[in-house]
Amino acid sequence: MNPAEYESVGLDEDRETYYLNMGPQHPSMHGVLRLVLKMRGEEILEAEPVIGYAHRAHEKMAENRNYMMFLPNTSRVDYLCGMIYNLGYCQAIEKVMGVEVPERTEYIRTIANELNRVASHLLWFGTFLLDLGGITPFLHSFEDRERILQILDRITGSRLTYSYGRLGSVTMDVDERFLRETTEFVAHMRSQIGEYWKLVGGNVIFRNRCEGIGFIDQEMAVEYGVTGPSLRATGVAYDVRRAEPYGIYDRFDFEIPTRTTGDCFARFEVRIDEIEQSLRIIEQAVAQIPEGPIAPKKVPKRWKVPAGESYFAVESGRGHFGIYIQSDGSDRPQKIKLRTPSFSNLSCMPDVLRNTPVADTIAIVGSIDVVMPEIDR
Amino acid sequence: MNEALHQALNTSGATPHEEAPSEASGWQHGWTAPAAALPEIACAFREAGYILELLTCQDRREDLQKMRLVYGFNAWTELDRHLIHADVEPGDPACSISHVYKAADWNEREVYDMYGVTFAGHPDLKRILLPDDADFHALLKDFGRMEDAEGGDA
Repeated sequence: MNPAEYESVGLDEDRETYYLNMGPQHPSMHGVLRLVLKMRGEEILEAEPVIGYAHRAHEKMAENRNYMMFLPNTSRVDYLCGMIYNLGYCQAIEKVMGVEVPERTEYIRTIANELNRVASHLLWFGTFLLDLGGITPFLHSFEDRERILQILDRITGSRLTYSYGRLGSVTMDVDERFLRETTEFVAHMRSQIGEYWKLVGGNVIFRNRCEGIGFIDQEMAVEYGVTGPSLRATGVAYDVRRAEPYGIYDRFDFEIPTRTTGDCFARFEVRIDEIEQSLRIIEQAVAQIPEGPIAPKKVPKRWKVPAGESYFAVESGRGHFGIYIQSDGSDRPQKIKLRTPSFSNLSCMPDVLRNTPVADTIAIVGSIDVVMPEIDR
Repeated sequence: MNEALHQALNTSGATPHEEAPSEASGWQHGWTAPAAALPEIACAFREAGYILELLTCQDRREDLQKMRLVYGFNAWTELDRHLIHADVEPGDPACSISHVYKAADWNEREVYDMYGVTFAGHPDLKRILLPDDADFHALLKDFGRMEDAEGGDA
């Protein structure tokens, strides 16, 4: 903003307040988020997130191609949960088209989804700590995450933007080696979680930095539609995998970790606990996975969604991801709206950041785990 | 189904869709409401503890000569998803519900950004995803069609 414009935007006469632009290129902003902070000294009076720098018009692209051609787009909406978005889109289409999914595929998808969720949480864990000045945890978490990427790379052919889903199927079957490596990873990750708690969760510097700041309460969560770990840290045990089970999530035994304080540390705890729960699901799925075909007997050649409107939700690493499809019965969508969780989660930031010191901004924004491409779509 | 909520929806002038949404659609209830009744409807949902899950728009100028706003409400405690259609004339403002659900603030800005539908009562209606100086609304059906671009049909 030009200094000449200061007067017009409501800066005080005492000239003690000023504006600070944080981002869009800022090392702790996880992509291109810009925060316009109205400050007095070190204190934030008002914060306004400015988004849209990574807008790639995915929803417009959807209208210009058919359902099948939109498939690769979905994993690029949120590059950290590409698998969950991609398979979620397939599941949405399968549901409205009434396509049967073979048992084995359901299990493969569940394992892939949960591995992806763990990878996403691990990346968040590393970068969150990096934002706060701790470099060591980042090195540990990226090493663990790398193992997941390599496991998924073998079956999907890509490291981040998996286009693994197909209608009623997946591109490639998994083999013994995949299952073995996954089992090994689960055992390895279990021991690592203990390390994480020791290294970070019990670290007094980290706790002082995170406890008691960035409060989101249940009221605010309802107002803004906050979901995912940020919601569960307020004490609401809402998880799409439980609330409206998709795939075969109703068959697995897992808990929904919650905390009640709703501060940055609570969100940290919830995410680490979720890694543990994801490992439990993976373990059960690996043990139960049946032999059999991965593709249904009859696969429609064209993806034709019956006329009407549908909504399908999955739980991504950041919360409730919804796909709204309006169809006229042809093989091209009339409209696809992607309801992305971080969009809602970030929109409560003006309320959360009000009257906090600017140094806490890093911890607060980091703790809600924003992924900008997902917000901007 | 919440009785009080049902009552409030009926008194606000919302009518249930003739055909109940199918199981596969993901909706439990479908409604059509006058756009002016939306603040009242939103209040009813808010009091019942629902969240605003979806707020978007459809460009239906070709078949209905209307812009159709689409609202989705759902409860966290039990799955009860309501789909609400509210049609506005192209160029006419809709009613903002951002004073009821703060989540609507950004979503209404997005609808304005992408479809050019304005919301009366919105505190700060400006573009959100597209640049501030953009002179188009990107999700309108007559903008940026693939057929117009080189290469013909997609």
